[in-house]
Amino acid sequence: MVRCSMMAAAVWAGLGTVAAAHPHVFVDTGIEVIFDDQGRAEALRMTWTYDDLFSLLILEDRSMDPDFDGVLTAEETAAIQGFDMAWDAGYPGDTYAVLGDAALGLSGPSDWTTTYVDGRLTSTHLRRFADPVTVADQPLLVQVYDPSFYTAYTIASDTVVTGDPDCKAQNFEPDRAAADAQLQASMAEMAGSAGLEGDFPAIGAAYAEEARITCAARS
Amino acid sequence: MRRTFLILGLVVALALAVLWVTGAGAVVQHWVLDQQRAVQTQLAGAVRALRAGHPGALAGLLTVCFGYGVAHAAGPGHGKLVIGGYGVAQRIALLPLAGIALVASLAQAAVAVGLVGTGVLLLGWSRDRLEGVNEQIMAPLGTAAIAGVGLWLMLRGWRAMARAGGGNRGHGADGQMHQGHLDRAHGSAGHVHNAHCGHAHGPTLDQVTGMANWRDAVVLIGGIALRPCTGALFLLILGFAMGIGAAGVAGAFAMGLGTACVTIAVAALAVWAREGMFASLPGAHGAAARLAVAVPVVQIVAGAGVAAVALSLLWQGL
Repeated sequence: MVRCSMMAAAVWAGLGTVAAAHPHVFVDTGIEVIFDDQGRAEALRMTWTYDDLFSLLILEDRSMDPDFDGVLTAEETAAIQGFDMAWDAGYPGDTYAVLGDAALGLSGPSDWTTTYVDGRLTSTHLRRFADPVTVADQPLLVQVYDPSFYTAYTIASDTVVTGDPDCKAQNFEPDRAAADAQLQASMAEMAGSAGLEGDFPAIGAAYAEEARITCAARS
Repeated sequence: MRRTFLILGLVVALALAVLWVTGAGAVVQHWVLDQQRAVQTQLAGAVRALRAGHPGALAGLLTVCFGYGVAHAAGPGHGKLVIGGYGVAQRIALLPLAGIALVASLAQAAVAVGLVGTGVLLLGWSRDRLEGVNEQIMAPLGTAAIAGVGLWLMLRGWRAMARAGGGNRGHGADGQMHQGHLDRAHGSAGHVHNAHCGHAHGPTLDQVTGMANWRDAVVLIGGIALRPCTGALFLLILGFAMGIGAAGVAGAFAMGLGTACVTIAVAALAVWAREGMFASLPGAHGAAARLAVAVPVVQIVAGAGVAAVALSLLWQGL
């Protein structure tokens, strides 16, 4: 009986990880944090470079690059612009900005571009902060993740800070063991509550790669 | 010797479960993710090479597809849940369970081919539409079937428990024997157990466990196959769009074979762990009686686990 209950506990605790999907799109992400002339962060420019297979799929969906020479015609280049920018209402864009404990509002995407180089599509877009952000004691965090994990985001280049020489950015990989522990804790908490009702624990952020932006104290 | 070997299976399975739960599995998961990413890039290269007519490109594509199947099955997935859960709950032998795992993986590829063939070629669906149908119709159907498997295992375990209780009171012995005879899978073993008929120690183990039948197999295969992998859909869509449809179909089945390797391994582990669990029950003489109690309990617990995961998946999908 002890073994049975242990097994039950293991099965229950593993629910979240078992239920999680595996990714089918891989995106190398680049982040640029743009400061205004008053030293406040005003926007993020996100760069998404898609994996070879998904890029190929997007082009085939549109019957582009039929000769597979890896070069798009001017018409094709014009037509591919914004291919990933038709967002459903409420879609957070897999980009999350946090200051302290507060999630920061971001605008929808604007100023987008798309290029096709070496068999991979790269798109960029701008997200404006709802209110310009003053970065002081607490770092500004920019996290990239898809809660459903259909797309796996990796921060693939150094995060760039534009417009404020006092601020710098550093990328962090998630502490996966800590994230797993948090997941198990959430699952245990749920097990104590009635059934499976309520929201699935929002633990996606714990697995996210993130950029931390800090600013030197101003005189 | 045999008992030690069996118990080792339980230890291995529990160790893996503990690794998974404590988060040591996170390192493995990260590694798996890297492999999935690498094989995805290789797949694009293989498709391009085939389209360009490079020599040996088809063999290359099939190899990459096989690897893709292994890499994606190594992550979380419903096939392992079904095969593992059923393998623990039901006293099915390894060979039939492995057979179910293999057929299910190939059937999953066949469903992907059928879905893309019907949706994209006949009905002219876009890729988004196809993925929508897969996510919103196929996946819930498969998940519901899996939940059904879990609930059915629970019911079966509960019935066996009730029967065991009835047998101890000396009732229903004829019914139990009758069921034993119906049990084709254990026809030969049934003669041995017949010798015990009329004894007062309740139903025999095979009667309690109620071996798997073909209906179970159909539901298990359906639960797995109705949920085609997005990767296979991607490959098939690309294949048809690029005029290399036959290679895409072959690649989808190669992915299925890769997936089957992992689910068959899970099947083996499930059988090993389950028999190890039963072998570790104390007492040599009373083993049969203890098994009569333990088997239905395990069946209920494992069935509940499968049902809980499937229902939570369904719930999140609503």
